[in-house]
Amino acid sequence: MEAPGEEEKVMLSFFRDGFYKDFIVLIVLTIILGAVFSSGIAWALDSYFGDALDDMIGEYGEYDVILHIREESKDAAMRELERIAEQHFKGARLSQTLTIAGQANFFFGLPEECRTRDILENIASYFGGVPGLNGYTLIIEPSILIRGVHSGVRSELQEQIEAIPGVEFAFRDGSNMIVLLTDEEHSREVSARVEEILAQYQIVELRFPMGFEVDTQQVGDEAINIIKKMAPGRRYSNVTSAEYGEELDAFLKTLVEMRDFLMSYASKVRITVDPNVHLAVGEQIAVQGTSGQELEPTASITDEHVLIEVTAVYGDMAEGMITRGSIAQSIDKLVQKGYGVQSDGVITDFVGEVELENERYRLAYAISESLRLLEELDELSVQANAAVDNADAVLNTFQEALMQLEVLQVQMRQLNDGIAKGGTGSTGEQLLVTLLLNGLFQSLAQAAVNAGEGSIDSLENLDIEEMRTSLNGISEQIANVQDIDVQAIIQQIEFVRDTLPNLEDEEIGQSIRLINTYLGGQVIPGERIQILVHDGSVDEKEIEKTLQVELDNPYLHTYSTSVGMVNPDARSEIFRILKEVRAIVAGMLAIIYTGVILVLDHATIFSTLKYIRAARKPVTNRWLRIFDPIKILGGSLGALILFTVYQLSRAQIPMVTPPMIALCGFVIGLLIAIFAERFSPVHTKEIMAGQALGLSNVQIMREIVIPAGRPGIMNLLNRWKQQF
Amino acid sequence: MLYLKDLHKQYGKVVALESISLEVERGETVVIMGPSGCGKSTLIRCINRLTEPDRGEIILNGQSVLALSDSALQNLRRNVGFVFQQFHLIGRLNVLENVMFHLVLGGMERTTAADRALAALKKVGLDNAVSRYPHELSGGQQQRVGIARALVTNPELMLWDEPTASLDPILVGEVLDVMEELVRTTNTTMLIVTHEVSFALRVADRIVLMDHGRIVEEGAPDVVFADPESEIGRKYKRLLMS
Ligand SMILES: Nc1ncnc2c1ncn2[C@@H]1O[C@H](COP(=O)(O)OP(=O)(O)OP(=O)(O)O)[C@@H](O)[C@H]1O
Ligand SMILES: [Mg+2]
Repeated sequence: MEAPGEEEKVMLSFFRDGFYKDFIVLIVLTIILGAVFSSGIAWALDSYFGDALDDMIGEYGEYDVILHIREESKDAAMRELERIAEQHFKGARLSQTLTIAGQANFFFGLPEECRTRDILENIASYFGGVPGLNGYTLIIEPSILIRGVHSGVRSELQEQIEAIPGVEFAFRDGSNMIVLLTDEEHSREVSARVEEILAQYQIVELRFPMGFEVDTQQVGDEAINIIKKMAPGRRYSNVTSAEYGEELDAFLKTLVEMRDFLMSYASKVRITVDPNVHLAVGEQIAVQGTSGQELEPTASITDEHVLIEVTAVYGDMAEGMITRGSIAQSIDKLVQKGYGVQSDGVITDFVGEVELENERYRLAYAISESLRLLEELDELSVQANAAVDNADAVLNTFQEALMQLEVLQVQMRQLNDGIAKGGTGSTGEQLLVTLLLNGLFQSLAQAAVNAGEGSIDSLENLDIEEMRTSLNGISEQIANVQDIDVQAIIQQIEFVRDTLPNLEDEEIGQSIRLINTYLGGQVIPGERIQILVHDGSVDEKEIEKTLQVELDNPYLHTYSTSVGMVNPDARSEIFRILKEVRAIVAGMLAIIYTGVILVLDHATIFSTLKYIRAARKPVTNRWLRIFDPIKILGGSLGALILFTVYQLSRAQIPMVTPPMIALCGFVIGLLIAIFAERFSPVHTKEIMAGQALGLSNVQIMREIVIPAGRPGIMNLLNRWKQQF
Repeated sequence: MLYLKDLHKQYGKVVALESISLEVERGETVVIMGPSGCGKSTLIRCINRLTEPDRGEIILNGQSVLALSDSALQNLRRNVGFVFQQFHLIGRLNVLENVMFHLVLGGMERTTAADRALAALKKVGLDNAVSRYPHELSGGQQQRVGIARALVTNPELMLWDEPTASLDPILVGEVLDVMEELVRTTNTTMLIVTHEVSFALRVADRIVLMDHGRIVEEGAPDVVFADPESEIGRKYKRLLMS
C-alpha cells in the first residue's frame, strides 16, 4: 500500500518547505504568551483582592492587635491608646478603621522590640483600661494559630514548638497558642511540624452524667491503670483541667437548680387523666381558672382561662405547670375540669380533673400565722422576768410558742431546700426572694445561737422537761430572747409574705420553659476526667465498655479530642484562598486561551492541511483513518499548549492532575482539528490558485491562507514574513 | 510536448478518469469538450497535479510530472498557466498584485514584476484598473485578470478550465476575444476546456471529446463536427447547426 507514505508526505511536505520554522516560533510564542496572559490576569486579580484586603485589615504584619471599641467611646479610646503607646510602646502604629455594627476597630502595631512573649501574653493588661473596650484580636504576623490548646500540655507543647526552626517563640492567648514565625516562608513547614507534634497527643475524656461527682484524681488514676492494661506502650497522665469547660458546667448546674427552685414554688397541678384520653408531656390543657366562663369544646380559649402544660405523666395521673393565667390566692385546692387545647387556641375534648394548689399562697399564709406568734413571743419575753415565779404557766405558754416556732421552722426548711441549691448566680425577682429567705433564716439561726441554744435546729430537740428542771436559768435566757431583734425579723418575714403571692404562675411557668428550652439543647456535663495520651493514641470507644464495667458506671462515656488544632489565621487563610483562586483562574484562563488560540491560529492550519490532503489520493489505510495524523497533530498541539501554559502560569484547579490537563488539551485540540473548517474556513480557491501558480506551501500559508485567516498570534507573526 | 498515458482517477466509487491517453504537440491548441461531470476538470488539473491521478503517466517536455519532487513540481507549475472557471483571484490583493505576486515570490524584482504584470494586463485590456480589487470588478474583468496572471510568466503551456462558464453571456465575448487573440499571437501550447462550440471551431487545432471519464473522439474540428463518430460528437454537431 502506498497510501500511508502519501499521507505522511502531505503533512511533512507541508511543514518541510519552510513553514516549520514559522510553526515552531508560533508554538513557542503561543505558549509564552499563554503563560503570561493567564498568570498575568490571575496575578492582577490576586493583587486587586490583596489590595482590597490590605485596605481592610492593614498590610501584612503592619499591625498586631485589633481592639474592638464601642463606637461612642472611640474618641476617648483613641486618646487612651495614644497614651498607652506613648507610655509602653514607643513607636507603635495606631489606626482606626472600619466601624461595624456600633463597634469601632483600632489597629495597633507594636514596635519591633515590644513583640516579646511577655508583652504579648499580657497584652490584655495593657489595654484593659481602654474605654469602651469590647475585646481584642491578635493579628500578629507571620504566625500560626493553634486553637483550644489543652492547659495540661501547654508548656510541653510550647517547648517543642519553639524548637522548630523558623519559630521565634510561642505564646498563650486565652486557650489559643500563637506561634510567631521568623518569616512567612516557613509557615507551611512549621504548620506541618506543629501538626505532627499535636498528633502525638490525644485527650481521652471520661464524662460522667449529672449527679455523679467523682474524685477526678483517684478515679482518673484508676482509669489510667485500666487503659494502660488495654493499650500499653503509651504514656498517660491525668490532666483533668480545672478551667476547661468549668464555667459552662457551673452555669448549666445553676440553671438546673434555678429551674428546680422555681418548680417548687410553682402552683401544683395534678391531673387525673380521663381513661379515654391519652395525655403526653408537652400538651396544653385549659381550665376555667377564676373566670366565670365555662370551657366549651370547639370554642376558643380567652385570656381569662388558665393554660397548663403537661410536664409528666404517670399512668392515669399527670403533673403540669401553669404557663398562662393564675389561680385564686387561696389555701384551698381548686378542682376544675381540664380540656385539651390546640395550638391555635381551639378547645378540644375533656381530658381529666385538674387539681390546682397555690403553694406560695399557702406558704405566705403559714408565715402570717407564725408572725403572730413571733409577736407574742416578743411580748412574752418582756413579761418573762416578772413571771418567773409563775414559771410553770409561762413555760407551758413558751412550750406552745416553741411548738409554733417549730412549725415555722418546717416551713423555713422547705424554703431552705430551694435556697440551698438555688443560691448562686441567679437573677430576677424570684431570686430576690430566695436571698431574703436566706437572710431571714440566718438571722433566726444567729438569734438562736445568741440565745444559747447552739442552733435553731436544736430547738426541735428541746426537751421541755429538762427545761423545767433548769428553770432557774430560764430568766437569763428569756432576757436573751429579748436581745433578738424580733421586729427586724418580723419585718423581713412580712416582706416575704407579701412578695410570695405576687409571683405569678405564668412567670414561673415561662421561666421554667425558657430554662428547659436552653437545657434541652445542652448535654449537661457531669464530672469529667481528662487523660492525656502521649506517643500514640487509643480508640476511645473501644475502652468505653471496659471502663463502664471496671469503674462500675454504665453511664460513663468516653470522647476523644485533640490537644489543639492548627488554625491558619484569618489573613493567611484569605491569602491562601486568594492563591487558590488565582491558580484556578489561571487554570481556566489557560484552558480558554488554548481553545481560543487553537481556533484562531491552528484551525486555519488544520483546514489548509485537510484541503491539501483532499487533493491527494484518498487514504485507504484503515489505521490512518482512525489515527488521522491531522487529528493527532491537533490533539498533541492542544495537549502541549495547554499543559505547558498551565504549568508555566502555575495554575492549579482542584482535583485536576497534570495528566488530566494534558488530556483536556488533547481533547480540545482534537475537536478543533475535527471541526477545523467550521472554526476557520480557508479560501480553497485561493489556495488552489497559489498551487497552480507554483507557490510553495510556506508561501501559500504566508501570502494566501494566513493573511485571510483569523487575527491571531500567527496572523501577527506573519506580518514579518508576508510580502504582499 | 505533453504526453498523457493511461490516466486513471477515481473519487470513491465515482470514476472521473478512465484510461486517458493524449498527446499534445508544441504550439498546438487542443479544445476538450464533453458533458458536465465527464472528467474534463479532473483531467486538466491532473496535468499540473492540482489533482493527483491514481494511476498513469504524464510526460511534459520529457519529464515525468508525477515523479517530480515538491520544488520541481513548483518550478513546472510556474511554466504552466492555469485559468480557472471561477477565476480564483486572491481577494485581498488588487489587480496588479494579483498578477505580479507570484513573480515576486518566485524571486523576481518587484519593479520588473510590476512591469511585466502591467504588460500582461495590457494584453487583456485591464491596464487601467490595476489598483482595483477583485470584488470591484465584473466577472469578465476578473477572468481577464485571471488570464493575465496565467500568461504573465510566459508559460509554454496554458491550461484553461472553462474560463467563460461562470460568466453571463454578454461578458463571455470579451473573454473569448482575449483568448482568441492569445491563440493567434502567441505560440503557446493551449489545452482548453470549454462549451463554446463556435469558439472551439475557430481556434482549435484539435478537438477532444470526452464522456464518462473517457476520450470518445478526437480530431480536427472540421472533421469532428462534420462527421462525428460518437454520440457526444453528434450532439455537438446538432448544437452547431442550430
Ligand atoms: N473532489 C471531488 N470529490 C469527489 N468527486 C469529485 C471531485 N471532483 C470531481 N468529482 C467527480 O468526478 C467526476 C468528474 O468531475 P469533473 O469536475 O472533472 O467534471 P467536469 O467534466 O469538469 O464537469 P463540469 O463541466 O461540470 O465542470 C464528477 O462525477 C464529479 O462529481
Ligand atoms: Mg469542470
